[in-house]
Amino acid sequence: MAEAIQKKLQAELEKYQQMQKDVSKSMSARHKLETQLTENTIVKDELDLLDSENTVYKLIGPVLVKQDLDEAKATVAKRLEYINGEIQRYETLLKEMERKLDQHREVLSSLQQEYQRAQGRPVGKV
Amino acid sequence: MSETHIREDEFPHGVHRLREEQKKVVSGCEEQIQHWTKVEADYSSLQERLRTLPDKLSYDIMVPFGPLAFMPGKLVHTNEVTVLLGDNWFAKCSAKQAVGLAEHRKSHVRKTLDDLGKVAENFEARVGFTEDLRKYSGGGKGNYVDIREEVRDGEETLTKGKRRLAHKPNSMPRVESVLELPEEEEEEEEEAGGGAGGRRGVLSEEELWARLDQLQAQEDQLDDEDRASDGAEVNGEDATSSSSSEEEKDGEAGRLTNGLHSDEGWPSESRPSESRAELQPLPPQAHGAGLPNLLQEEEEEEEEDGEGGVPTIYFSHTMEPKKVRINTGRNTMLKFSERKEEAKRKKKNGSHHGNGHGHSHHELHKIKSPADFYRVFVDVVNGELVPRKSILKSRSRENSVCSDTSESSAADFEERRGLGRSLSHDEGTHSDTSEGILEEESPTGPRAPHLPFHYEAFSGTVVEKDPGMPTSIPHLTICAPALPTIPERKCEDPAPDGPQGPPKRVSKFKASRAKATM
Repeated sequence: MAEAIQKKLQAELEKYQQMQKDVSKSMSARHKLETQLTENTIVKDELDLLDSENTVYKLIGPVLVKQDLDEAKATVAKRLEYINGEIQRYETLLKEMERKLDQHREVLSSLQQEYQRAQGRPVGKV
Repeated sequence: MSETHIREDEFPHGVHRLREEQKKVVSGCEEQIQHWTKVEADYSSLQERLRTLPDKLSYDIMVPFGPLAFMPGKLVHTNEVTVLLGDNWFAKCSAKQAVGLAEHRKSHVRKTLDDLGKVAENFEARVGFTEDLRKYSGGGKGNYVDIREEVRDGEETLTKGKRRLAHKPNSMPRVESVLELPEEEEEEEEEAGGGAGGRRGVLSEEELWARLDQLQAQEDQLDDEDRASDGAEVNGEDATSSSSSEEEKDGEAGRLTNGLHSDEGWPSESRPSESRAELQPLPPQAHGAGLPNLLQEEEEEEEEDGEGGVPTIYFSHTMEPKKVRINTGRNTMLKFSERKEEAKRKKKNGSHHGNGHGHSHHELHKIKSPADFYRVFVDVVNGELVPRKSILKSRSRENSVCSDTSESSAADFEERRGLGRSLSHDEGTHSDTSEGILEEESPTGPRAPHLPFHYEAFSGTVVEKDPGMPTSIPHLTICAPALPTIPERKCEDPAPDGPQGPPKRVSKFKASRAKATM
């Protein structure tokens, strides 16, 4: 009895830890996205400071590729949009994960209690 | 004890940990601030350099050549700078533009610095707070001492027991407030030892006590010493047999019944002392006959019956209260009609007996909700004999039917008119005749006289009543099932009470009330 519960508990715990890993992963991803967002907003602001005379390059691999200023601005704007969308997505994802985590926590606590009870009973009987 | 120790150990530890974490945050913030201030300084120097760079066309510089060597070189195109904007974006711009970009960067850096400063400040305050907390709570360094009381399992249980005890004392004072309790108890003990024992056994329940006390007080008030003996027995039976809910009902019913009794003319508080004195001697005989049966029946009904055993009283009083109710407040046509009819009857009776005023007042007070009507109705039924019930039922049904039909409505109107008149008449008669009425009632014990009174009243005051009476009798059989709320009681009551003629009037009232409630 106790062993079965322990197995269950173990499996649940592994799941829970996996969930926690996922959560932390998406958290870090979101964090990265946020830094990218700030960087890109800065780029966008600074591109706005430039004239049409200025040449804009994009570093692709080892090569600086010349870009049109307007094109660069549009690209950065798109990139910002994309990053914002990603952040939103991660936000919802994180919420969902949080919810699942709570569920897992509850299951874990109940299992733990059960396990303890199962352990305690035989002792009490003895 | 172990728990408290753990607490004491954990609490300071928790505070300590909290303080450390907060300090970590603060130090991290400070590091960041240092970093960003350095960045800002770098940008400042960069701006300076960019500003001065275009001053010359070319510079002789040592160009870093790999990690190990420098080689002499020349810096040309002094006004051309390629700026890394971020995210691998580069822009070729003039030195001046670069200064502007650097300024832009600096604004961001400053903003970051501000944020970091706020965070650091915030956590600084928290660190101070936790420091204080540590001092207050546990360290014992400060002047502050926690007032603690250890709660142990054994103590808790004890407190529970104490609480119960405390409640008992409270309930007891209530009983004392009634004043008459000790007398009642004594009477009970003397008269019915079994009943008293049952009571004491129930002592553990506070509710039972309070109810018992109430019942006793009511009985004492209502009944003189002679009756008190009977009442005590009844109480004892109630206490033992009835559950808490029943007892409550009984208590309420007892109040109601008391009001009815007073109306009926039994010696009640509300009634004048004179009336009591007169009534007391006369009623005992009637009660003696009626009480035993009632006692057997059990509960409220029994009590009511026992009290109501005196038929004469019932008639006059019940009639008046009904009148009052009708006048005061019931709006529905059916109720009006019934009550009016009853009131008329009562008025007629009242004119004869003159008991109405005191009764009406009592009833008003006692009957505050529809539920009260039910109790009153039950009481009356119990008190009434079988024939009375049948009459009542028939009347009630007739009334209800009448109310539904056009006849009833017409009758109601007439009745209303008659009621107004009758009320005025009744009041005058009642006030004057109260004493005389009592005397009359006591003789009423012979029920025959009452019946004639009823018939007379119907014929004399209201034409409608006469037709109603005959019809009512046939209806009676049908009516019994019609009264849903208290069918059992009614059935029980009629059998024992059957012989009494006078109660019929009362039964009519009750029936009307019951219909109203319906």
